[in-house]
Amino acid sequence: MRQCWAVAALCVAGLASWVAAVGAQPEPRRPHFTDIAPKSDFAYRTDNNFTGRKYFPQTMCGGVAALDFDNDGRMDLFFTNGAKLPEMEKTDARFYNCLLRNRGDGTFEDVTARAGLLGKGLGFSFGVAAGDYDNDGYEDLFICNAGRNTLYHNNGDGTFTDVTERSGIGTKPKDVLSVAAAWFDYDNDGKLDLIVSNYTVWTPQIDKICAVNGQEYYCHPKVYPSVAHRLYHNLGNGRFEDVTDSSGFGKELGKGMGIAIADFNGDGYMDVFVANDTVRNFLFINQKDGSFKESGYEWGVAYDENGNAHSSMGADAKDYDNDGFPDLFYNNLKGQIWGLFRNIGGKYMSYVSGMSRVSRLSEHSSGWSNGFVDYNNDGWKDLYSSNGDIDNMGEISRQPDTMFENVDGKEFRDVSAQLGPDFSHAGFQRGSAFVDLNNDGFMDLVVTSLDEKPRILMNSADNGNHWLLVNTIGRRSNRDGVGAALKLTTTSGRTLYNHVTTSDGFMSSSDKRVHFGLGTEKAIESLEIRWPSGIVQTLKKLRADQILTVTEPGR
Amino acid sequence: MTASNAPLCVILSLLASTLCGQQPAASSDALLQHAIALHQAGQLDDAIRAYREYLAVEPDSVQARSNLGAVLARAGRYDEAIAEYGLGLRKSPDNPALLLNLGLAYYKTGRHAEAAARFERAVSLSPQFQEQVTLLLAVCYNNLGRYKDAVALLAPLEKDKAGDAGFDYLYGTALIGDGQEAAGTAVMNRILSRGDSAEAYLLRGTLELSAHDRDRARADLEKAVALNPRLAGAHARLGELLLALGDSERARAVFAQELALDPDEFTSNLSMGVLCKQDQVYAEARRYLERALRTRPNDPGVRYQMANVDLATGNPEQARQALEALIKEAPDFAEAHASLATVYYRLNRSADGDRERAISQKLMDQRDALQPGTKPR
Repeated sequence: MRQCWAVAALCVAGLASWVAAVGAQPEPRRPHFTDIAPKSDFAYRTDNNFTGRKYFPQTMCGGVAALDFDNDGRMDLFFTNGAKLPEMEKTDARFYNCLLRNRGDGTFEDVTARAGLLGKGLGFSFGVAAGDYDNDGYEDLFICNAGRNTLYHNNGDGTFTDVTERSGIGTKPKDVLSVAAAWFDYDNDGKLDLIVSNYTVWTPQIDKICAVNGQEYYCHPKVYPSVAHRLYHNLGNGRFEDVTDSSGFGKELGKGMGIAIADFNGDGYMDVFVANDTVRNFLFINQKDGSFKESGYEWGVAYDENGNAHSSMGADAKDYDNDGFPDLFYNNLKGQIWGLFRNIGGKYMSYVSGMSRVSRLSEHSSGWSNGFVDYNNDGWKDLYSSNGDIDNMGEISRQPDTMFENVDGKEFRDVSAQLGPDFSHAGFQRGSAFVDLNNDGFMDLVVTSLDEKPRILMNSADNGNHWLLVNTIGRRSNRDGVGAALKLTTTSGRTLYNHVTTSDGFMSSSDKRVHFGLGTEKAIESLEIRWPSGIVQTLKKLRADQILTVTEPGR
Repeated sequence: MTASNAPLCVILSLLASTLCGQQPAASSDALLQHAIALHQAGQLDDAIRAYREYLAVEPDSVQARSNLGAVLARAGRYDEAIAEYGLGLRKSPDNPALLLNLGLAYYKTGRHAEAAARFERAVSLSPQFQEQVTLLLAVCYNNLGRYKDAVALLAPLEKDKAGDAGFDYLYGTALIGDGQEAAGTAVMNRILSRGDSAEAYLLRGTLELSAHDRDRARADLEKAVALNPRLAGAHARLGELLLALGDSERARAVFAQELALDPDEFTSNLSMGVLCKQDQVYAEARRYLERALRTRPNDPGVRYQMANVDLATGNPEQARQALEALIKEAPDFAEAHASLATVYYRLNRSADGDRERAISQKLMDQRDALQPGTKPR
């Protein structure tokens, strides 16, 4: 009898394991990332001049821009850097900004000096935004600084010229810290305008010392005042007008960090989200008459669901659930909750950090730059964050980056540990950009970290998924096509959405080409592009795995 | 704690001498005497049956009603006892002994707000009860977050009771809760001077937690829990700390431990409610928050969370009503004004939304001006 029972138990156990095996989902094959920066000879390290004294802006250093400055079809990289403090000068080469030309063989050439981008006179630099503001076909650069902001015009010959003075874009008071900027065409007049995220009023002379038990720490932002973000209208002919007050931006005082640009309500005009540090976030909804209405309360994104303002850092707006409306993602510091908001029909945002598991996944990380990126080309945009504590006071101040993989547009799982040791590098990570550096259709990552060389993380692109990169060229619209909304339908009827923007994360500027992961699908039924001009262009029967350049019809 | 249990047996005596209700008829009197005899003999089930038989004949007898409540309470059937005391109070609303016993029954079920109200009323009617209820009332006040009231109650007793472990812990908790850190530290040191004590570590950990000294707070609170895993409030404070450290997973476990000891512990119920809300498990969030509200009825923080659950579950109208009521009572609650603004916008009441938004902004600015960032993030 006992033997019989034992046999029965074995049978049941066998059945249970069979059921488990049938029920379990096989883990998808995941690409991993490998740092190729060591293969290249360049001197740049992110240097915030930390020598023991903790100056307020030192926590923010190392902006990144991905741009093809020489139009050779390969994306290049630009990095911003700090300055000697309290002098606020790039006194020697270790503080210079850096332009790396992509040689196309997995190495990069430092061409900063030749390009005229060392930035010797710029002081402490933070964010950078790449965009072709004069529609000449070459990407220009705007650099945010403590001190004067700077607009560099790309001369088309591998060099840049500082045109700040004559552009009219240098109106910022010198004691205002500008940390991030984004190019977008808010009035759809075919010229890129500029929004600049300002943080506070600060100079080394008014820097405060904060300490507990004799140990200095980086002061809480509340000890410094809030300021208005600035909007510059592109007048053409290389000239800009500061329209901060007339546009409504001047009414709202914040502590600006990352900027996300998207048409949240689907009216064909780009709106602006600004993540603020320790004060409520702003969502400026475009009123289509040159003005904006700050609508963070209406949309439910000003605070978290408990009415708390956190240390919002990076921001990005993309459609993570493929429902046709751009959603919102911002990160913040350890112990707070990263905000993932789902756009409900272009009317308001629903806070879904809990439901999507983002709140639990993120609570141990202090995030800086961030964004939606479909790193595995499965057609679902994942959540990336560059991490590291604000201060160096705890054992776990150095932190690894995180990748939360999108599961069917509903929830996320943490796959960071599976993306390779170079991805898992712990540091004080700050800026980041998404870019396809080798044009293989898989997004690579470039990440800066305080007092370190940046990591240039190449995606192994080895899971067999398919993709499409779309390079938009506007004619009636701005030449970059920033703001163009793309709707892709695969042959199976799956619909994916994205839009053209270079602004994501914090202090950074990503590949302007629009990326679609297609999973196992090799063909595209249609690609619809709604240009900022209002023109709707539809392309049919496209093959996957190509970089498609699309020029806006008509002029 | 000894402080919370000591006076209980004093009150749960028969109340024949203090009650002056109607005299029952001679035939039923024997039934009452029989019930009292069973009660005194500790035959609780029989006594309950006998009192009920008597009350079936004499339903207006306050004495029998009160005794039935007492025997039910002694049998641990507090909800039934509360019902009987309630019926008795309908007949004799200012009966201090009934109020006292009702307060005790509420106390035993963790309904500290109801208990405190009955104790206060009983003492106002009959000041001789003051001594019997002081410590119980102080426990209630501490649990309700009415630390200032607890301090006022306990301070006059310090001269005589300093050194009594129960008193010191209760008083220290009240002082620290009231923000009187120096006086709280002195009481805590008094406890520490008697050797290793979970209570002292809990008090010190609480002080350190409020001073944002998280490393020390963690060491002390973990020591308190290790020394006495059944110490009321220790897990709750540790949970608070873990939440502040961003370890919600462990905080949940610790709060669950506290609630296993005391299902009505306020902080644990509130925190679990907020965590469940954060996870968007709204039914469970509501259950915890309702439990927290039972402990501290009308607590603005809990009501605010409940309103946000309403909003998140697609009931903006319900959220509006709750938030409007809340800000009437707590007009400086900036976050409530902010949520109400969002609710109004959601209900297409833009003008009201603009007004609430302006109020919330003003309140937050004022608060920021009062509390410039003086601590590390």
